[in-house]
Amino acid sequence: MMVSQQDKITVSQTVIVITNFLLGTGILTLPRTSVEAVKTPDVWLSVAFGGLIALLAGFIMVKLSMEYPEKTLYQYSRDIIGKWPGGLFSLLLICYFLATSSFQVRSVTEVMGFYLLEDTPLWAMAMVFLWSGIYLIIGGINPIARLYEIIFPITVLIFLVVIFMSASIFETDNLRPVLGKGIVPVMQGVKTTSFAYTGIEVLLIIVPFMRKPEQALKATLMGISFPIIFYMITVIMVIGALSVDGVTSWNWPTIDLMRSFEMPGLIFERFESMLLVIWIMQIFSNFTISYFAAAIGLSQLLKRRMEPILFGLLPVIYLIAMTPKNIDQLFQMGDLIGNSAIFLVGLIPLMLLVISKVRRRKFEKN
Amino acid sequence: MKKINTIRYLTIAFLLFLLTGCWSSHEIEELGLTFAMGIDKGKETELEKKFDEMGGNYPKKDRITMIYQYVNEQAAGSKSTGGSTDQKSYINVYGTGDSLQQINSEVALRQDRPVFSPHLKVIVIAAELLRTYSLAELLDQPLRDNEIRPSSMVIVTRGRARDTLELKETGEMPAFRLRKIVENEYKAKKILPPVTLAKLTGKMRSGTSYLLQNVIGTDGEVKYAGAAAINGKTNKLIGYLDEHDLEGVMWITGMGIGGTVKSYDPEEKKVTAFGVETIKSDIKPIVKGNRLSFEVNVKSDGYLAENWSTNEKAFDNKFLEKVKKTTEKTVKKTMEDITKKMKTEYKADLAGFGNELRIKHPRLWEKLKKNWDETFTDIPITFHVQITIKEYGTVGDQ
Repeated sequence: MMVSQQDKITVSQTVIVITNFLLGTGILTLPRTSVEAVKTPDVWLSVAFGGLIALLAGFIMVKLSMEYPEKTLYQYSRDIIGKWPGGLFSLLLICYFLATSSFQVRSVTEVMGFYLLEDTPLWAMAMVFLWSGIYLIIGGINPIARLYEIIFPITVLIFLVVIFMSASIFETDNLRPVLGKGIVPVMQGVKTTSFAYTGIEVLLIIVPFMRKPEQALKATLMGISFPIIFYMITVIMVIGALSVDGVTSWNWPTIDLMRSFEMPGLIFERFESMLLVIWIMQIFSNFTISYFAAAIGLSQLLKRRMEPILFGLLPVIYLIAMTPKNIDQLFQMGDLIGNSAIFLVGLIPLMLLVISKVRRRKFEKN
Repeated sequence: MKKINTIRYLTIAFLLFLLTGCWSSHEIEELGLTFAMGIDKGKETELEKKFDEMGGNYPKKDRITMIYQYVNEQAAGSKSTGGSTDQKSYINVYGTGDSLQQINSEVALRQDRPVFSPHLKVIVIAAELLRTYSLAELLDQPLRDNEIRPSSMVIVTRGRARDTLELKETGEMPAFRLRKIVENEYKAKKILPPVTLAKLTGKMRSGTSYLLQNVIGTDGEVKYAGAAAINGKTNKLIGYLDEHDLEGVMWITGMGIGGTVKSYDPEEKKVTAFGVETIKSDIKPIVKGNRLSFEVNVKSDGYLAENWSTNEKAFDNKFLEKVKKTTEKTVKKTMEDITKKMKTEYKADLAGFGNELRIKHPRLWEKLKKNWDETFTDIPITFHVQITIKEYGTVGDQ
């Protein structure tokens, strides 16, 4: 199945798709997970370094995709490493995307169930999420990108307004001293913070959908820079308010930051629902992209139409999403996905890139 | 064609079901809005004892008594319609037991409106309870509960929490008054910055001792009165700081704006008062070889607010100079008094010296933080005060 000419997206749409996919559960949990790893107030540095690693990985992926600008990874991996190993890798990647999208569904239902809809059963929330997701994806990449174009500005606006409102409880002392224990703890945290940027693997699939694939690198650079800025602001504001010692005790520190202050006199006194609104939209976009990536992978692997596969995957995602028995298992699942991302999106694309370069050179020599 | 129409009408009919979307909503008058929560030493109220006699008991140890302050929806409603206001606008419900959650659910057996705490403003804890139980134990349930917002303020009381949650006036909520007094910090220097549940988690886990606002209540009146010192490691009570002590801490840390410094003229023994406008305090840790000391530089701007020695003229620079000197002396003494108390009586650093060391000498702090409170008692501290009197109000010459 080749990508039709109609179903292509512009550079700015690509930037937005990448940004939307990168911003996810991390916004809510990153302050905690990163502080647990770093243990000093220099977490924001780790977040920045993690972003640099993501940029590097993104660079490799774009280089790889540019070798085959018309094809997705599922198609060209066969060309590089042969039919069976390529197929196996594609299958692994599909599983990874499925797990990611299930993880998103479960996270969103957990958070909604805890903070918003206390007595609503998980399946009811998951159902709404899954169905509206499939409704969007059936239309192809274009409607997806257009929806994100609507979501993105709303997210930026509300996020910035809401997070800077917490300035009233911000204390600079909580972020000092800078590099008090040297650079070592910062480096120890980089592994954790780079998890927050998983999502760049979408590059392996999205490049052939671009109208101008030659601008993929630019789009990647911008698409990753937005999340770096967002994550740094989040971490700085959360730690500034809740302190390094306090932040590790909250499950979803960013929401609790919003719950930690009230603004009497404004029309609204409380802003956590605002944050949840944009967060749910972000998770929705996360979920739809990974769902889409998994479906397109299967359809290219089996050389079938995408619609039946989409419907077939729906119950699978639901079942995986409902597997974790409690919130601890959910966090474990998140760690597992993050760890596998290192191999699937960090090492293997690099390997593929090297192999394909070597092969090309041989080919040219001959 | 007809078939399609039928389907269309059916769909419209089914849409009606969506209108039931709010079936599980609660009217605001039906909610047991709880604005304050108090935790006292366990002692059953008369009512509870009677209930027990009639068989309304369950297996428990009477360790704590909880006070839930409900809004009285009848009084709250009548105020707006201009009805009688002889009813108090709050109802306090008491429950005794040993688990906050269980006491909370016991209330649901007695009231038609169970405790609904997303609008909780204050949690008042009887400080004496903190001798037996740690803050971390007592506040575990409020922190865990997703109904209670971390923006709720935590204060302690030297007396009983139930007394601070009573007011003589009928039209006012004690919870609101307790919460709002914090905002008077521009007027009085003896108010600590509000410690919310969100801020408290950081303090409880940092391992360094800290202060909590103390409030006292009697005869239906409340007062912010000094602070309670809490040990950072055990999260239990160390002791109480009176208003003078707290003022000293506020000067050292440079927290708070406003307030008054009253001093006596050394010759005439007459009162002069300095109105504080800004305070800047700089705690400087000085490390020389193995020896650590602190230097505190306090700078404050303000105005001459009151002067009882009538034969002096504020137009006279010499006089202002004299007031400045005596004020500086008073402030310095206030700080020295509390420092001495911290070293000898509480044996804990309550004014954030450790925090400055953490920021300026992080590596040294790593070594010292384990036994900081003990180390602190031997560290020499010097104070320097610089007062600037910028103006003397509308009266220059009496």
